[in-house]
Amino acid sequence: MSVLWRQTTHGVQRRPETASRTTAKLILMGALVAGLLAAAFLALTTSTVRLSGEIWAAHHEMARIQRANSLLEAEIARLSSIPVLQERSRALGYERAGTLDFIEMGAP
Amino acid sequence: MLRGPDARLRFVNVLMIAVLLPILGQLVRLQVLERSRRLPEVEELLQRPYTLPAPPPGIVMDAHGELLVGNVPIYKVGAEISRGGGISVVGNVTRTRQVAEELAPLLNRDSEELFQALSVPPDAGGRVWRPLAAAVPADVGEQLMQLRSERWGWLTLEMEWQRYYAEGDLASHTLGFVTERDKDGQQGGFGVQGYYVRLLSPLPVVGRGEVDAYQVPLAEALALGELRAYPGTDLVLTLDRTIQAFVEGELDWAMQEYRAQGGTILVLNPRTGAILAAASRPAYVPYEFGLYPESEYPLFQDPVVSSSYEPGSVFKVLTVAAAVDAGGVGPNWSYHDSGYLEYGGVPIRNSDHRAHGQQNLQGLLDSSLNVGAATLTTRVLGAESFYRYMRAFGFGQKTGVDLVGESTGILHFPESEFWSDSSLATNSFGQGIAVTPVQLMTAVSALANRGTMMVPYVVAERRYPDGRLAVTTPRPLGTPITPETADYLAELMEKSVAHRLTRAQVPGYRIAGKTGTSQIPIPGGYHPVDVITSFVGFGPMPDPEVLILVKIDRPGIERHLRWGTQTAAPTFSRVAERLFVLMGIPPSEAWAGP
Repeated sequence: MSVLWRQTTHGVQRRPETASRTTAKLILMGALVAGLLAAAFLALTTSTVRLSGEIWAAHHEMARIQRANSLLEAEIARLSSIPVLQERSRALGYERAGTLDFIEMGAP
Repeated sequence: MLRGPDARLRFVNVLMIAVLLPILGQLVRLQVLERSRRLPEVEELLQRPYTLPAPPPGIVMDAHGELLVGNVPIYKVGAEISRGGGISVVGNVTRTRQVAEELAPLLNRDSEELFQALSVPPDAGGRVWRPLAAAVPADVGEQLMQLRSERWGWLTLEMEWQRYYAEGDLASHTLGFVTERDKDGQQGGFGVQGYYVRLLSPLPVVGRGEVDAYQVPLAEALALGELRAYPGTDLVLTLDRTIQAFVEGELDWAMQEYRAQGGTILVLNPRTGAILAAASRPAYVPYEFGLYPESEYPLFQDPVVSSSYEPGSVFKVLTVAAAVDAGGVGPNWSYHDSGYLEYGGVPIRNSDHRAHGQQNLQGLLDSSLNVGAATLTTRVLGAESFYRYMRAFGFGQKTGVDLVGESTGILHFPESEFWSDSSLATNSFGQGIAVTPVQLMTAVSALANRGTMMVPYVVAERRYPDGRLAVTTPRPLGTPITPETADYLAELMEKSVAHRLTRAQVPGYRIAGKTGTSQIPIPGGYHPVDVITSFVGFGPMPDPEVLILVKIDRPGIERHLRWGTQTAAPTFSRVAERLFVLMGIPPSEAWAGP
């Protein structure tokens, strides 16, 4: 609904102006929606950035764990390698087996 | 000039429009009209390439999952220095010297060298990057990372993966190594790693996108998980490290015992083609391949697949198999051995230079008669039939084993310009033909596996980084002879070991085998002294589980002892005896007691 009014500013008589409340509301709504969209976009961008940062950090953490894992694998393999096992066996007093004989067992 | 508020308002409006219009115009020009032209410039300004942390290459394990080749992280350390306050970076001369002294023990370098590296020459401008050390171990790298975050922001650390050979130089030829990428990104290598280089090596994951102030990518591709760094594919081999270590030990013993210059022992499962152990000497240290001079590069080639040699009398079993399978000879066949035969203008004599009278196939193999073998090819088989069988046995072709550098060997066919009539006679006992150990083993596997040759292989499983598992299915390579022929030949070979080749016997086990002693070709003929002795055998009969080739190059013992029966056969016996125990194969016969 339009309203007509006369306005006096600083004592100056102004001509009657026509304004639409609907237009004003539409502009306001438009600004609000634009603001909301902008806020949503900002939130999305921020979230993406944060997520990217977290994923980047996760990649590095994964790489760190992979490095630690590879080192542990290598260390386990070194400790269970044939030369180390042989040395350890000799230290414990074991010797290489001589002839092995099989004993034929009767059927149960 | 402007009177009244209306006029002033209009003026302000016009002014604002005048200011905004060019901006709007520029926006339209940049965003719409010149978009395609401007986009690359903008991307160049905003986007940076980034690389995900390098995942490790695939590891290599033995048949029981024991690590053979793994990875350890190492670091390339450098300094990003700039001129500031004199000649140095890091602050001033005194400070630089302190840093150099602190770094020296960590990097295992001389502090004076480090001081020089950290000092910027007066004529250098801006920032300079200086390498300080390569292949820095992981623990030191971690310490340096800590120091960088606390005090030394100028330190640069680049992580790389270094291969770790858990068993040292065990199975060096089979495991091989992979070279660094060349400028085109291509990698080469030797052994099984060279063969599967594409599977083992992870591809560097490079993305491009916007980065923040800390160079952390903000790219959507990263957030959406589109960029993922996959490690290389893991390989599980058919090799058993215990068997491999034992076989290498026996080869070293044989080399020393017979004062040989080289040798090979190959162990294969004739039913599947799986290679259980492959040892060759001389060997090399795979993790030090970069230290070898170019003249020693031939050491990197695996003799099992790359080196061909004249097989000698071992080859006779294949000649006899061809003759039997063709239907030309059988248990009742015999010939008169006069100790001499001339064919194609070339005289053929037995190795003992003796005549053996009436002989059958068993006698031919037992006494390893050259005249008998030549009789089979020249009078029974003929060239067409003999070479058809040799093709069927895979000679002159690759077996398809998954190792780098497989050679086809040399076998001249009648259509070849290098073939002559005499070839038919000499080829029958393994002369004038060159085979690789794996080729010979594949051919002989037909005798041990009821006529079917299997494709030899060393990779039993491929474990992909996404969890998929690909198990190698044994594949037949061909069926050159019938099961009946194979069984008959295996029986002849078993009797040969039982009656004549006592040195190859394994107590309690029935073994089939054949010796070989071959001359070494040199320009213009054969080496007058040097020979290659060999023994190929399988067991336990009647259902053989292992096929073993022992080849000893140029034994240096007394000349009258340089025979397969004296060198390769006893080595075979030692290997087979322990191998049966290691593999848990029970004896063929009940133990009779000592």
